[in-house]
Amino acid sequence: MRLRNVRLVHFRNHAETAFTCSPDVNVFVGKNGEGKTNILEGISYLCLTKSFFAASDATALQLGTEAFTAQGSFEAADGLTFDTVVSYQGAERRKVMTVNGQAPESMAAMVGQFPVVILSPENSNITFGGPGDRRRFVDLVISQASRGYLEDLLEYRRVLRQRNRILADNRERPGSVTAALEPWTESLVNCGARIVARRIRFVQEFEPEVRTAFGRVAAVNEAPALEYRGTVELNGDASPDAVRSAFARSVERVAPQEQRAGLTLVGPHRDELGMTINDLELRGYASQGQHKTFLVALKLAEVAFLRERCREAPILLLDDVVSELDPERATRLLTEASSLGQTFITATEATMFDRTYGATGYRRFSVRAGQVTADE
Amino acid sequence: MLYTSESIEQLAAAFGQLPGIGRKTAHRLALHILKLPREDVDVLARALVDVKEKVRYCSVCANITENDPCAICASPKRDRSVICVVEEPNDVMAIEKTNEYRGLYHVLGGALSPLDGIGPEDLRITELLRRLETQPTDEIILALNPNVEGEATTLYLTRLLKPVGIRLTRIARGLPVGSDLEFADEATLSRAIEGRIAL
Ligand SMILES: Nc1ncnc2c1ncn2[C@@H]1O[C@H](COP(=O)(O)OP(=O)(O)O)[C@@H](O)[C@H]1O
Ligand SMILES: [Mg+2]
Ligand SMILES: [Zn+2]
Repeated sequence: MRLRNVRLVHFRNHAETAFTCSPDVNVFVGKNGEGKTNILEGISYLCLTKSFFAASDATALQLGTEAFTAQGSFEAADGLTFDTVVSYQGAERRKVMTVNGQAPESMAAMVGQFPVVILSPENSNITFGGPGDRRRFVDLVISQASRGYLEDLLEYRRVLRQRNRILADNRERPGSVTAALEPWTESLVNCGARIVARRIRFVQEFEPEVRTAFGRVAAVNEAPALEYRGTVELNGDASPDAVRSAFARSVERVAPQEQRAGLTLVGPHRDELGMTINDLELRGYASQGQHKTFLVALKLAEVAFLRERCREAPILLLDDVVSELDPERATRLLTEASSLGQTFITATEATMFDRTYGATGYRRFSVRAGQVTADE
Repeated sequence: MLYTSESIEQLAAAFGQLPGIGRKTAHRLALHILKLPREDVDVLARALVDVKEKVRYCSVCANITENDPCAICASPKRDRSVICVVEEPNDVMAIEKTNEYRGLYHVLGGALSPLDGIGPEDLRITELLRRLETQPTDEIILALNPNVEGEATTLYLTRLLKPVGIRLTRIARGLPVGSDLEFADEATLSRAIEGRIAL
């Protein structure tokens, strides 16, 4: 997938920004606070219908304006063009997307149509943060690769909230809730089992990609590994049916604790993706450098994974990677990136890129106070 | 934006209460009403009040009606051995439009949703059970919305009705996920009713 051009109107500090993209590497150079990350965020809206870091659309609206628009023309591997517009009305809090003039069935239906992989400073919480940060990572990768998965996630989240409400409302009256809880438990188990089974399969498919990518960015020979650590006790069999029965048994077993806690205690919302290097937990044992290598490997693996599943090379967004990584890792990443597909990179200076790609091997833009100009 | 008329503001606020109407649209509607001929406004006002005064719920199936029992329950042409359970009167209209279904209905008045404080006792489930006691029934079709709440309600009713021993089916999940019955197109809906699954 490639973006031919991008236009942002009243988006963050961009009153109106428009540029034509290189099909390969695009680098946005500017001082801190000039609006470089905002450009990547705009591209994220085009690909995922939302920001890759902000939880609310309202914050992306340029202060003092009524609506923002992100517009871009995608070209797929088969040559088809998708003119995509995402706009947001501040007063009505309404977000609308159109692709070639048509509104898609839902926002969720668009995720994965324009696959994207993002590496930004916030991503350090994938290896440094809590289990929720790792689940979010896994969920976004699988959602882009499989449409039904995102639907299952949305459904599961809703069922979970409904079920938790019953548990919370009846904390003082244990035993009285069983009948009211039953249909929600059944829904939780049906939907949750599909999610758990898919994640387990994902980890199996993804781990080899991580190992390969790690070998390419790491300076030394180390063995990275991923492990799905579920709250549902499985005995080897991870087929959806086996997960469903195991999940049902687990919920039954923790019923007394759940009633006391007023919360659903087992299920994909509590699961963890273990990350290790040479059998040692990343969290607690790995050096800063190992964390960074692991993160870069996860992202490169994500590119490889999505390229295969979506039959389309994802767009790669690299925010501030040069200042986040040491020169050696950064050079390896940039070299890899240019061979993977279209890439958008932000940086505070251009020296690194001239060295890696040659002065004419990439398209460079200067960003100043929300204004973007192409360097010739 | 400053509007000088309090009446306009009041009308806009009333429109704004309606589902799917935002602030801007509410104002546009209010200004539109202002431009209408007096007679048209009378017709509209009368229609609003009539809805409230004349329309009731059918004492048998809880569908909306002006005569009790409703036209469907009163019709000798309907197959009284089948009851299709739906959430809202809208769903009855949607299924009626397909011209496929000849049985009766039962309108629950919603779906289970603890977050909205809706439990089994807030739906017309007791009424359904009482109906089954007095009216010989061969089949119950569960046609709830294909969303999380509709699914939980289907599961709840299945557990409750299974022991009664009546044939229990649900419409096939051929509907786009997250959509309401009301918005499903007629072809999809008739296919869903034909392809219903035994529970
Ligand atoms: N909603 C908004 N309206 C106007 N300006 C904004 C908005 N949100 C952020 N900004 C401005 O955008 C700038 C940050 O842009 P960013 O892309 O993060 O910079 P960088 O070039 O360092 O990546 C800041 O100057 C900030 O004040
Ligand atoms: Mg930045
Ligand atoms: Zn009736």
